[in-house]
Amino acid sequence: MTPTEGTPTRTVRVHRYDRGDDAPHMELHEVPVGPTTTVLEALRWIQLHEDPTLGLRHSCFHASCGTCGVRVNGKERLACVTSLSEFSGTVTVDPIANLPVLHDVVVDMAPFFERYPTAHPIVRESEFLPESATPDGIAEHDRYEDCIECGLCLSACPVAATDDTYVGPAALAYAQRLLEEPRGADRDAILDWADQDNAAWRCHAAFECTEACPSGVQPAQRIMALRKQLRRHRRDQGRDVPDRQSSEEKV
Amino acid sequence: MAARAEHERSSRSRSWRWTAITGVSLLVLVTIHMVAHHFVVDEVGGLRTYQHVLDYVSTPIIFVIECVFLVVVTAHAMLGLRSVLLDFGLSDRWRRLADRGLVVLGVVTVVYGFVLIGVLASRA
Amino acid sequence: MSEQRAPASERDPGVEEILRARRDGGHVARKLPGPVAWFDLRNRSTGHLAFSLNRITGLGLVFYLYLHLGVLTLLLGGEDSWNGFLEVATLPVFLGLDVLLVFGLLVHGLNSTRLALIGSGYVPNHQKAMFWSLMAFGAIVLVYTALHVFGGE
Repeated sequence: MTPTEGTPTRTVRVHRYDRGDDAPHMELHEVPVGPTTTVLEALRWIQLHEDPTLGLRHSCFHASCGTCGVRVNGKERLACVTSLSEFSGTVTVDPIANLPVLHDVVVDMAPFFERYPTAHPIVRESEFLPESATPDGIAEHDRYEDCIECGLCLSACPVAATDDTYVGPAALAYAQRLLEEPRGADRDAILDWADQDNAAWRCHAAFECTEACPSGVQPAQRIMALRKQLRRHRRDQGRDVPDRQSSEEKV
Repeated sequence: MAARAEHERSSRSRSWRWTAITGVSLLVLVTIHMVAHHFVVDEVGGLRTYQHVLDYVSTPIIFVIECVFLVVVTAHAMLGLRSVLLDFGLSDRWRRLADRGLVVLGVVTVVYGFVLIGVLASRA
Repeated sequence: MSEQRAPASERDPGVEEILRARRDGGHVARKLPGPVAWFDLRNRSTGHLAFSLNRITGLGLVFYLYLHLGVLTLLLGGEDSWNGFLEVATLPVFLGLDVLLVFGLLVHGLNSTRLALIGSGYVPNHQKAMFWSLMAFGAIVLVYTALHVFGGE
């Protein structure tokens, strides 16, 4: 279906890839747009009117689910709230980086979630039940779950660009949130998980994760706070400089 | 096994900590080194003549400072290289190889530097 | 509801393909191949610029460490050997390289100070302002150094 004459259009360049392809390729589409047309709407138009094989992932349409993460002109964005009017010229849409591509702009999020620590509370008491008293030292319950697990931070991270073993900003920020509000999670297990070469100590403070995050999680700041906790933990445990004798005794 | 894991785990924060400590030390040592070698003398570029260098390194306090500088800068360089190498996502085996290789390189560098400073100081 | 869940390979060919793709890794979108991505500043902000500069100056300074030890080895050859080096080292192009060295030292040293503070959990929310302030200070020092190196005073 071609846009009607007189309808303003934008050129959208989309990353196309299928499992088994030697390499991805880019396809150009002329998409009719309005003043507020988003990247997601443009992709859906292509899917509905020009190429039904275009693979894309979305859900809520309002930056709440984190499903539609892509790179738009090289920058990590949520497609549902990114307006085409922000850009001039051709708009290029790529999948987020550093995760395996399943199809077109859809990535396999399993490696993203596999980076998370296994220690976590699954069921949390409601803040609104009468018996849900706040723990000592906490005046009121606050929302710590800003992360929508979109993967944009991992895509933006320069360390993740070369090191697939790095757990990444989202998992580390999650660990720090658990330390701030454990609710039954094992703090020592979380700290041990974070105290790895491929975890808290791998971050080089590029802060691109914080720049990319659409939810205000500030992963980089959380990682720095996590390091502070790790040093304090080691000091409290008296394990700052382990001596040979104590190591041998443990064997 | 548990002791080794414990020791390896403690080395992670230690690597970062020693990179920071050697780095902060270098802020002082590099400044002393650069000022003494390049800002005190009057020649263009501040470079010292042959005899200047010999007289300089044979001064006991300078000899000690330059030796400390060499150790600290080599340690910082090796820790920095280690950090860059780890960013390639090395397996445990390659990481241990890299660690050993960098220790050897660092020791060779420091030993060579000590020999160099010692020979020059003895010629003064 | 009572039937047993079929094994993955029988449920849906698409699922099997995904599971195999996961095992095989498959195509991973990267901005640029390998370590080149560390220095790609397109669409990146101050923190990434600082990271790239720190990395390239760090690697450059490691190279310089060994270059410097090599040059100092010329001292073992005696006064003539060293003076020969000095004649070359005082040429304008090499004095310019000296200024480049000081640039590398200043960028790496000042930014690393910032990293040590941030990495210790202090003032991470002001990392951009810290970077530019330190670089401004470094620029002043660099200009003074360049004048001294070329002016000889």
